[in-house]
Amino acid sequence: MSKPVNSLQIRHVGAGSCNGCEQELTALTSRDYDMQRYGLDIVASPRHADAMLVTGPVTDTMARPVERVWEAVPDPKIRIAFGDCALGCGVFQHSYASHGGLADPDLTIPGCPPEPGNALSLLRNWMAAHRSKGPAYIEDKSN
Amino acid sequence: MTNSWNQENLLHKYAGHELLTLTADRRGNLRSVWLDPNDNQQSHLDLELTDGCFPSLAASLPETAWDEREIHDLFGWVPIGHPDLRPLIRTPRWPEDFFPLRNAQLPSAWLEAEPDLPALQVEGDGVTIMKVGPTHAGIIESGHFIFSIMGENILHLDAHLFQNHRGIEALLEGKTVFEVAPLVTRICAADTVSNQTNWASAAEELAGFIPSEQILLHRIVLLEAERVLSHLNDLAQIPAGVGYQVAHQRALAIKEHWQRSLQALFGHRFLFDTVHPGSAATAPSDGISGAVEALRRLWVPWRHVATGHHGFANRMKGVGTTSIDKVIRMGAQGVTSRAAGKTFDARQSIPWYQEFFEGPAIRTTGDVYARFMLRLDEVEASLKIIEKAAKLLGKAEPKNQPFTPPEDIGGRVVAFTESPHGLNVHDISFLKGRVSRYHVRAATFRNWPLMAQTIAGNAVADFPLINKSFELCYSCTDR
Repeated sequence: MSKPVNSLQIRHVGAGSCNGCEQELTALTSRDYDMQRYGLDIVASPRHADAMLVTGPVTDTMARPVERVWEAVPDPKIRIAFGDCALGCGVFQHSYASHGGLADPDLTIPGCPPEPGNALSLLRNWMAAHRSKGPAYIEDKSN
Repeated sequence: MTNSWNQENLLHKYAGHELLTLTADRRGNLRSVWLDPNDNQQSHLDLELTDGCFPSLAASLPETAWDEREIHDLFGWVPIGHPDLRPLIRTPRWPEDFFPLRNAQLPSAWLEAEPDLPALQVEGDGVTIMKVGPTHAGIIESGHFIFSIMGENILHLDAHLFQNHRGIEALLEGKTVFEVAPLVTRICAADTVSNQTNWASAAEELAGFIPSEQILLHRIVLLEAERVLSHLNDLAQIPAGVGYQVAHQRALAIKEHWQRSLQALFGHRFLFDTVHPGSAATAPSDGISGAVEALRRLWVPWRHVATGHHGFANRMKGVGTTSIDKVIRMGAQGVTSRAAGKTFDARQSIPWYQEFFEGPAIRTTGDVYARFMLRLDEVEASLKIIEKAAKLLGKAEPKNQPFTPPEDIGGRVVAFTESPHGLNVHDISFLKGRVSRYHVRAATFRNWPLMAQTIAGNAVADFPLINKSFELCYSCTDR
């Protein structure tokens, strides 16, 4: 199973960020960036999502909720690491309570926190790259 | 001994002093630090543990209940007589003998257990338990809320936070003076300058370094710029809590405008890494004034729109009401406390702020409306402070010599600032050039329990609105 990438609906999971990533993600929904016009949006349920976007170094307490949200997102789907902590290059990498970022991301958006204009370009580039195979597809890794 | 610990701490409370920190160290010493807002003097009380135990203050001083649970979780020291010693930060996944601030030894593996903890719930006919989180249906940090509800009414809220606990205090131990700043900057994006300034002031005091007027002026500009940014964010979120999209979106746009100004002036949209021991990011005086001017052109019309909507105002009045008695009892800080009539603002106790701070803004009704209006007043006061400081920048004495701390720097300092969320305190100990203990006590840590109390008696549908009006940051509470 696969599906064309004309839109990307995102479920956000905070896993120990400093809330800078959350604020910049909110900025993407504001009128200056208006991510919805490109088919990008933050959705309220993993069941509505094509992607799970994680912020923070993945604290031990959030490690299971993150994987549960991932299981609840229908296939095909992608994992997005948003910000240096989630990418595994943040300053809290080696703490006892940190899992060192999101495992196996399909798309990484660097920055501490990511600059929203840049984050929007990376998201759009990913969509364009997967659309150019015409019509493009998210690969279904569940098979 | 036991009695005097209790009595002496209570005497401070009854004298109207503010509890800065209550924490322990790995050798088994407990210390509470109090600030007298009348003469701005700090005083501390010490207690040695007996067999790993200490007498709990929580029953007579409820604001210490969480501090003592935290000490219990992270050190394993036991507060005797604590009314609710359920784990606060600890999770069932931590091995029994693992205390992150007591033994440096990491557990070889986490236990295979659910991270959930037992919750306080109301029982009885017609009571429903509604669990929310830890992940939420929006762009928010994680936290787990267990509501006991009857119909639409909230009877009790048990907030299980610390899902974002990163173990920052343990991570800071052993760091040298030059390794601390990048971590402290990232404790919380909304209070980053406040955290950076606490660290810088403490390091400077330990090293005997006196910052120049120019450095202090820039720190004032940065601290107030952060207050404006954080309040703009909160002022955007409160209308969103009742679906008032016009005020929400326009406030977000003003916030974006301000972030771009900060990026242009100081090089970062949240002012990360702008304050270090011995320095502060600089910007030209007219650039700063120009940015304030440009912000006002957007701010004034927005304020008219947001405050002129009587439906929005009515929606906020009489909702999520707390009182000055509860605020004082729980040791609440910041906007939350001043919106209920408490007059403490940490800026009045900081010597280098005296020329700029004209006294705290106060509201008295203690509801969502008061917290919203108070933020409006504080933004305007902050803009004035920025302008005044910017004017003086041109004439200020030039920068200091570089900051060169002694290699064996040591001692203990408690430094604080008024962050956008309220009194923000760092209790820092150095031994032979390295951090031996670093404790961070954010205002939101004190405000969360009050918010949970306040929510009882309100409707479930008002929870987002009330929560946003308190604007409780998770990351600086969880650390």
